[in-house]
Amino acid sequence: MSLEVKNLVKTFDGRKVLNNISFKVENGQTLGVVGFSGSGKSTLLKIISGILYEDSGEIIYPQGSEVAMAFQYSALFDFLNVFDNIAFPLVERKDLRKKYSNKQIKKMVEEKLKMVGLEGIEEKFPSELSGGMQKRVGFARAIVTNPEIILYDEPTAGLDPVTSTMIEDYIVHLKNKLNASCVVVTHQLSTIKRAVDYVIMLYQGNIVFQGSVQELLEGNNEYARQFVSASIQGPMNIATK
Amino acid sequence: MFELKKTLTYQSIFLLWKEIKEFLCTLGNIGRDFVRVFNCIFKLKVNLKETLEQSKRFAYDSLPISLAIVGMTSSIIAMQLAPELAKQGGADYTGMLSSLVMVRELAPVMSAFAIISMVGSSFASEIASMSVTEQINAMKVLKVDPVQYLIVPRVLAGFFFMPVVFIVSATFGLICAGFVSNWTAELSLLNYITSLWHGLYVRDIFIAILKCATFGATIALISSSCGYSTRGGAKEVGISTTKAVVWSFLAIAVWDFVFAALFYL
Repeated sequence: MSLEVKNLVKTFDGRKVLNNISFKVENGQTLGVVGFSGSGKSTLLKIISGILYEDSGEIIYPQGSEVAMAFQYSALFDFLNVFDNIAFPLVERKDLRKKYSNKQIKKMVEEKLKMVGLEGIEEKFPSELSGGMQKRVGFARAIVTNPEIILYDEPTAGLDPVTSTMIEDYIVHLKNKLNASCVVVTHQLSTIKRAVDYVIMLYQGNIVFQGSVQELLEGNNEYARQFVSASIQGPMNIATK
Repeated sequence: MFELKKTLTYQSIFLLWKEIKEFLCTLGNIGRDFVRVFNCIFKLKVNLKETLEQSKRFAYDSLPISLAIVGMTSSIIAMQLAPELAKQGGADYTGMLSSLVMVRELAPVMSAFAIISMVGSSFASEIASMSVTEQINAMKVLKVDPVQYLIVPRVLAGFFFMPVVFIVSATFGLICAGFVSNWTAELSLLNYITSLWHGLYVRDIFIAILKCATFGATIALISSSCGYSTRGGAKEVGISTTKAVVWSFLAIAVWDFVFAALFYL
């Protein structure tokens, strides 16, 4: 199952946030999307996931594919415990509710919690969990429907380096386990190095770099060099963003 | 140099236009959500578990404050009315007047105000918090319709349980008025109950129940809709909650006028 984005355009209040964005993510690959804050990365994910509509362009993936998203701040339902959060789509979606019995749902939730290394916390509420645990519960909820496409919005934002490494390992682990096409929006070079196969860089709604992680880190693209060296000097002007 | 944008007139008109735009936006959002809710109910897309949960909340949360407000109001009316009527030799009319005023007007409106402050504000802030923390977006990605899951159960709870709150609080209010009449004008409880029936018509009770069902659904719809369309952060959650309360009060006043004009003009 691959994901293809063709000539995507999105405008907010007359400002082009995404301008003719095109890329393809093959089955079992992870695309990293990098760029300054406000460059359109999260908007891109919201359009792929169906939260926002594009002005023009196409999002192509096989019909019936499940698209899942892990949100920046987890977006766990704070009125539900961990079990109910993960089971939410299985219980509330009519098509899935008919498919699985309560026993099967329980088994699936336990299995997904095991995949993210969080067994035995089913009864806890999101407010009782640490930031890293919330992210992993968010991952478990995202993958409970066995999605073919997984989107991660800044999965390591606000986490300490050790927890970030753990989260990056889970991204790789889940991709391999589910053989899904993944898109990771991130600012972290460590995430790009550990969890991503190739990268696109957005600046003012345009793709300014597209290539492998190696090319991003060592290539001659001036946008990539500025990003990797975290320099104020370069073609990307923060003042105009 | 004369600059139009700095003039007081320009700024006043600009602010006024901003307010009008804001008003129309809110009205549009409520209208849009009404259509969505109606569509879900019409297609029987109702989450029964969540509807029961919200109904429980609607009835339990608002009942104590409704009882307190309606009880106090009816006691105050009886306190003012009973001695005056007794002086004029019309103490026997106390029950009739109390039931007329309470059932037709005060109990529905006072219960609605109690529900706005207790339940409506909590609906608005809860859904607004969900919106700003992307929980509603998460629902959309998980292919669960947030209107069906969040707003429809609340509107149904309001429609079915506001009349229950009204019946209980109006009964309590009339009992309070009876005791206060007995205390202030030495009107026997038997006389009070006898005169009560003279002012209590079945038609009035049915109109009041219909009015309360409309009030309940309106409060739930406005509160949920104001929360649902919230964007931003903590400040916007507060603004949405205030907006929900103000709009609900306004809507109740308008509905009350419409019902009075329709059934009593």
